[in-house]
Amino acid sequence: MRAIALVPFLVLVLAGCSREPEQAGFAGLAEGVSDSGQLSYLQPGPETGLVFPADLGPHPRHRIEWWYLTANLKTEAGEPLGLQWTQFRQALKPREPDSIPEPEAWPLEAAWMAHAAVSWRGEHVFAERLARGDVGNAGARAQPFGVWLDHWRLDAVAEDQWRLNVQAGNFGYDLTLTLNDQPVAHGINGFSAKSDSGQGSMYFSYVHIEIRGTVMIHGQALEVQGRGWFDREWSSQFLKTGQQGWDWFALHLNSGDKLMAFRLREDGNLYVSGTWIPASGQPQPLDSGQLAMSVIEQRDGVPVRWRIEVPEQGVSLTLSAPPGDYMNKGLYPYWESPVEVSGSHTGQGYMELTGYR
Amino acid sequence: MTLFAALFSHYRRHPLQLVALALMILVATTLWSGVRQLTEQARTSLTQSEQVIAGRQQVVREDGVAVTVGDFATLRRAGLCVMPWLEVPRDGDVGLVIGVDPLSAACFGDEGNVFGDAGYRIEGEPFVDISEAARLAREFPGTERAPTLVLIAAGAVKAETLPAGYRLSAFSKGPDTGELGESFLLNLDALGVLVLLITALLLRSVYRLGIVQRRDSFALLHRFGVPPAQIDRWLVLELLVLAVLCVVPGLWLGSWLAGLLGQGFGRSLQGLFDAPLYATSGQWLAPALTMMAVVLAACLADFLVPRTRLVVARRGQGKLAGGLLLAGLALALLGPSLIWVFAAVAIVFAGAGLLTPALISRVADRAGVASPDPLRRWRYRELAVMARQLALPVVALQFTLAMVLAIQALVTTFEDTFDRWLGQRLEAELYVPVPEGRSADAAARWLTSQPELQTGGAWHRVVRGRGSVSMSGTAPAPVDLFALSPVSSLVDGWDLLASADDPWGILAREEGVLVNEQLARRLGVGVGDRLELDVAGAWLDLPIAGVYADYGRPAGEVLISAGLLPAHFQAAFESFSITPGALSRAELISGLEAVWQVSELAVRDNEEIRSLATGVFDQTFLLTRAITVLTLALAALALLIMGWVFFTGRAWYFRLLAAWGLSRREVAAQLTRLSVGLTASVALLALPLGIWLTWVLVHRINPLAFGWSLPMAVYPGFWVELIGLSLLIGLGIALLMGRQLRAATVLPVSANSLAGGER
Repeated sequence: MRAIALVPFLVLVLAGCSREPEQAGFAGLAEGVSDSGQLSYLQPGPETGLVFPADLGPHPRHRIEWWYLTANLKTEAGEPLGLQWTQFRQALKPREPDSIPEPEAWPLEAAWMAHAAVSWRGEHVFAERLARGDVGNAGARAQPFGVWLDHWRLDAVAEDQWRLNVQAGNFGYDLTLTLNDQPVAHGINGFSAKSDSGQGSMYFSYVHIEIRGTVMIHGQALEVQGRGWFDREWSSQFLKTGQQGWDWFALHLNSGDKLMAFRLREDGNLYVSGTWIPASGQPQPLDSGQLAMSVIEQRDGVPVRWRIEVPEQGVSLTLSAPPGDYMNKGLYPYWESPVEVSGSHTGQGYMELTGYR
Repeated sequence: MTLFAALFSHYRRHPLQLVALALMILVATTLWSGVRQLTEQARTSLTQSEQVIAGRQQVVREDGVAVTVGDFATLRRAGLCVMPWLEVPRDGDVGLVIGVDPLSAACFGDEGNVFGDAGYRIEGEPFVDISEAARLAREFPGTERAPTLVLIAAGAVKAETLPAGYRLSAFSKGPDTGELGESFLLNLDALGVLVLLITALLLRSVYRLGIVQRRDSFALLHRFGVPPAQIDRWLVLELLVLAVLCVVPGLWLGSWLAGLLGQGFGRSLQGLFDAPLYATSGQWLAPALTMMAVVLAACLADFLVPRTRLVVARRGQGKLAGGLLLAGLALALLGPSLIWVFAAVAIVFAGAGLLTPALISRVADRAGVASPDPLRRWRYRELAVMARQLALPVVALQFTLAMVLAIQALVTTFEDTFDRWLGQRLEAELYVPVPEGRSADAAARWLTSQPELQTGGAWHRVVRGRGSVSMSGTAPAPVDLFALSPVSSLVDGWDLLASADDPWGILAREEGVLVNEQLARRLGVGVGDRLELDVAGAWLDLPIAGVYADYGRPAGEVLISAGLLPAHFQAAFESFSITPGALSRAELISGLEAVWQVSELAVRDNEEIRSLATGVFDQTFLLTRAITVLTLALAALALLIMGWVFFTGRAWYFRLLAAWGLSRREVAAQLTRLSVGLTASVALLALPLGIWLTWVLVHRINPLAFGWSLPMAVYPGFWVELIGLSLLIGLGIALLMGRQLRAATVLPVSANSLAGGER
């Protein structure tokens, strides 16, 4: 569960307006599905279900979707290195998947945004790219799987093997991703609720990814390896009106178990949800009765130490972000940092926090 | 009857006066606001094109094919920061809109903040989202200019990072034209101000006459107890209402006029300065307020300036006029920039405006005193009165006539010179552009090997491109390159403005270059000076062997022998100019087609190019001509109305001529001589002013505004036409007056009018 939407951004850029819709939530993710046009956006629900491999590709009748990789890597010297790559698609108008507009018309039906970041030795570098859809330089395809924006690209190179190549100004990476397991569907049949009143998204993850490759930073080439977590999520109304941000965690526990947990913040209220993915056996959706999240410590207004408990599983974790500032300072600033896990289990993971500062 | 109704009843009795006032405000607002809208639009275009594209580079295909959205995607996927720039002619071909993509502009972020600064400078007109521009291009496909897509590259994009098949090129909307574009617009501004000035004079005269006629009713109202201040307030209100009622439709008509002329104007701007006219929306408030202020100031100046001061001023009028004329003439001669020259013109006009009525009046008075014939004496004295009473419209007509005369001289001289120049330039019979991707060398070899071509024929190869030039120690400035080889007899006939001995021989031997007048003026160089020329990285240091005239565009140009071009020189355009001589046209074309292996060649003949060039030039002066003709019509109409109103006011006095024993026919003849005498004097006095203005336009304003000068010429035939027109206006006044006298309306008469009191 992670998102930065482009709607207000486009309003800002194309119409010179900086006002964020008050009721639209963080980055406009609480905008309604009803549309004045003939074709309306589709809003997924528990009955929607996942279809593979089609759902790896784009969903043009949905307002927003993303492909999201976080990785906890180690250099040859054994130093931890955090890495992120994300690509977002924001529809400006819904359309059927097969009615692709002519590129010569420079259509403005969808906007794409890609983010890349590397965190190493307390330093955090970040880059952002933007493009309009349907012109050719940005897009996604289910088969053979590929997601690209300009020269940043994630491509399937073999069955269960992907290659991710990003070259930003002062950093870049070229990684090979090996998918070691089937995707995990969150929520009910992949529908992950984000409120009690129906808002939510389709959401699945590849959580067992082995990563090897090279990271370039400040002209230095680092051979890296480690594990990654890949999310696929799409929706047309993501947040409930009034929800202002979220805290999201994806954790690799050294026991072999995985945990995804998030909470959505609204005035005086929290919506908590997650998935427990045991080393063996079926993933188990978690609700607020089964999952507890609390802040232990803040750094400059950002909660950087957390306690997460899943009592049924005997899990009581303390998560800590390393020293440093991990704000992705793009159009929509948000926090994206690796975390160290201690407590009942040890491990590593990633934390995304929106709506702070 | 209310006070307002009582005051307004004047216009019920003299509806023509009201119509005249209204028409003048309307026509003047139309003219002025139309011109203003165009110049504002052009000025915005020049500024924007300079700001947004300053120093930008673009990516083009090496095969010369226009770039497409596919190339954009290819380049972006290769990691290059490029953004699309789609120029689309607007509906009706007036102005351009530019489609941009703010999303791909985001990567320009840190450099020069032109595109990246939240799209600051690419917001609003003429910029639209590129999807909208593409839609316009689809919906109005019939426009003359095709939409053009340019891929602008960020500064960080280097040639070596480009994928194969692409190269970088400067993204420039034209050559470095210095201040010329602005000067051209200043010319139009000055024309607009002149229109405004003439209107103000005319308005003032019509209104003042009305006020004189209404004095009796004001006095009557005063006697009924209405305080004069209240009458004044009502008069201001009356004028204000009239102004609003006429200015608003005038602005609308002005906007319509701008749309009508915009197409030609846009072409002129494009042709002259390579600057496109971008689409912008017209303004309303500023021109409306300006026009209202002009109307109120012109008509109500008497409320603002105390009467005694006017009287004092009038006494020193002669000296003041003389002083102004001298100062203006000196300034016109020495003024360093266009704005000074315009100030000089304004000062000379002001001097002439003060002098003319006084001069006519004094000369007529003197002639009257000297004349033994009582009728002639009466006529001269009456002419003197007219010159004083009709001072303002007389001056307005004089100004207009002078302006029309000068502009006609300029345009005609220009046409003649240009025609001669074009004749020299288009010496060859056929012009064959080298097809894309074909070798000019192969064609040159083929042409050399044709013996028939040597018999009475001639040919040369023309290569056009860009280079940069510097004098010793100065920064290099971009120039157009014009290269020839061989230097054939086709160029022998060129009139050079200055040249060394055998300039063409020097050029052929690659021992010197020729430069156009624009470059010579801009760099302040002449024959014998040395130029450092950068031609695609190769440096040439050669003396100037001649300066040639190059009309119709502001760019500096250097003419060199094509043998000096380095092998890797990227030509923007290559062609052959050929006079086939004994070789038949069909043989020539089929021969070249065989050499180039193309099925069809785009051959243009002399006539075709000539008509194209002439077309561009006609467009350039379309606006100027339209404005002068309309202003002349306005001035003539005003004098006609004014003269008629004046005569009407003195009708009783003229009837006395009959009482003195003159027949009706004789009275009419006297009136005709009187009115024709006045308009003829005006026309005669307009001549020196017009000739002087021609000199200013040709020798001062034109070099400053366009970069080239013209020989000065005068056209007495046209003077005769103008004098004829003035006589017609005079006859028209007399005719109207004659009808008035025949109507024999019985009007109350006052002792004042019987005694010719206006004297």
